[in-house]
Amino acid sequence: MKTFVSCILAAACLLVLFAEDSWGIPAFSRKYKTSCSTCHYAFPMLNAFGEAFKNNGYRYPGGDENYRKEEPVSLGSEGYKKVWPDAVWPADIPGTSPLSVLAVGRINYTALSSVKWEFEFPHELEVLYAGTIGEDFSFFGELEVENEGNETEFAFPFALQFDPDPVFHLRVGMVNADPTPTQLRLTRNHYNMASFRSRNRWRFRDHQIGLEVWGAANGAGNRGGLTYRAGVVNGQGISDLNPQKDVYGKLTYKIGGLGEIGGTEGAESEASEFYVDNSITLGGFFYKGLASREGAADEDFMVFGGDVDFWYGRFIANAAVMSMNSDIPNLAERKSLVYYAQGNYVLYPWLIGLLRYEWEDRDTDDDAVQPVNAVIPGVTVVARANVKFILEFKKFLDDVNENNDAFVLQMNFGI
Amino acid sequence: MKYPIISLLGFSVVLVCSTYAGDIKGKVTAKGARHSGDAVVYIDSIPGKKFDPPKEHAKMDQKNLTFIPHVLPILAGTAVDYLNSDDVLHNVFTPEKCAEKFNLGTWPKGQVRSYTFKVPGCIPVMLCNVHPEMEAYILVLETPYYALSAKDGSYTMKDIPPGKYTLKVWHEKLKGDAKEVTVGESGDVEINFEIKK
Repeated sequence: MKTFVSCILAAACLLVLFAEDSWGIPAFSRKYKTSCSTCHYAFPMLNAFGEAFKNNGYRYPGGDENYRKEEPVSLGSEGYKKVWPDAVWPADIPGTSPLSVLAVGRINYTALSSVKWEFEFPHELEVLYAGTIGEDFSFFGELEVENEGNETEFAFPFALQFDPDPVFHLRVGMVNADPTPTQLRLTRNHYNMASFRSRNRWRFRDHQIGLEVWGAANGAGNRGGLTYRAGVVNGQGISDLNPQKDVYGKLTYKIGGLGEIGGTEGAESEASEFYVDNSITLGGFFYKGLASREGAADEDFMVFGGDVDFWYGRFIANAAVMSMNSDIPNLAERKSLVYYAQGNYVLYPWLIGLLRYEWEDRDTDDDAVQPVNAVIPGVTVVARANVKFILEFKKFLDDVNENNDAFVLQMNFGI
Repeated sequence: MKYPIISLLGFSVVLVCSTYAGDIKGKVTAKGARHSGDAVVYIDSIPGKKFDPPKEHAKMDQKNLTFIPHVLPILAGTAVDYLNSDDVLHNVFTPEKCAEKFNLGTWPKGQVRSYTFKVPGCIPVMLCNVHPEMEAYILVLETPYYALSAKDGSYTMKDIPPGKYTLKVWHEKLKGDAKEVTVGESGDVEINFEIKK
């Protein structure tokens, strides 16, 4: 039994790797013969069109077939639609390889560590695969190998998605329970909200496995619009650690900017930069789960929060806050508060400055644990459309963590 | 009665001149390119001659994330209409000073924005801020005598008035030598070009 639990925990640990979301997919560049910046502010962070592309089930708004530059391989002619249910419904698969590779290496510097300088090459290697199957299915997956303190970790999440309409998608497998806006972040450091752990070690960062319905629609005049998602997931592990399923939901509304599902109507503008999308998006979310840990009673917890994402010209500001109520039998209830605020500024399309402030109070009712707070200034250099460097510093402002200040130079490239 | 006779004679002279105009045709062979198309063969300038730009606008489409045509030769002073035929936003801008580094912003499907190219000799590259892979060239020329080569390299410049000219060739990546050409009172002239890096 102990071995079984250990295996389950090991599987749960693997899911930690899923947090390195890497949705910048050169396979899409090959498919449409288009640059990364068509969809990315700076990979992997999406721009407004990238969001619209994703919201259309990894398809171009207004019909995909005019834009893809490779012919898909037919798995049945159109005429077979008339034959159904006496034949398999026709579909197609990508005509070129849907595979991409993303490599991540780092030079770490921790001033007060015994090993100050560290060349971590590779930190991570991912084989990504993504594309569409016929008119209304899509897929996304990765095979990921990562170095964690000289231990090689391995993960292989994927999702299959049914996309009958942008307003309704059904996703099975790796779903999007992390509510952080722009979760496909620019920085090496994760958002504190995504990394914050419950008492039984659950966190948003550990990508969730389950079912999700989600969708998007444009707002008035085809500008901005609504997105929603709701899911039921294991919570911890590929094989669930407890009999209860976790549930979550998120709702956002975008005012102004490109429509959530694209379209050009009403989008006339004097601005043309791919990183500009003058808009404000407001979101609210919840997550209700049960977290299990060996040797501890189950933790019933509830997370709720909200976020704002404001884009104006070259400037982006976003902030998110979450509150967690944690209940473990025979222990005092714990309330936690986590938030961050961040600003990005595009100095040049290839040079982006960033500053983040974050705050984490594990127990708002008790001063036993000092809140963690830090600032993260950083610079992203997009040397080529598919080659990126991040120079980043994390400066802790609390006394407990002041020795953990660290610099990192991270190098990413995708092919 | 005197004036109508002079007018008639004048009209006949014009008619004779245009009737006797010849074509310049030939082939461009592009060495080191996938095909021999999109080369522009043109008469550089004709001393003492100025041409009025056409009232009709030239057209460049943005369709399926591509500028069509890829190369557009025009007479200086011609306005070019940029049509967005896609369901995605497009932009047109150029970094070239000779075209005032214009940036037309973004506009929806079915709509057109225009720019008038005034400076002869300017060869601005057309770019789309939204789709960096998109690229096209406009050649702003001093004369209306030009032709764009087909993929097999063939070109025809029609109705060239008799005279001695310098014929040049332009390609976005390759170069070729200028050639002297004499167009007679009648008949076509064949001039071939070889262009390379």
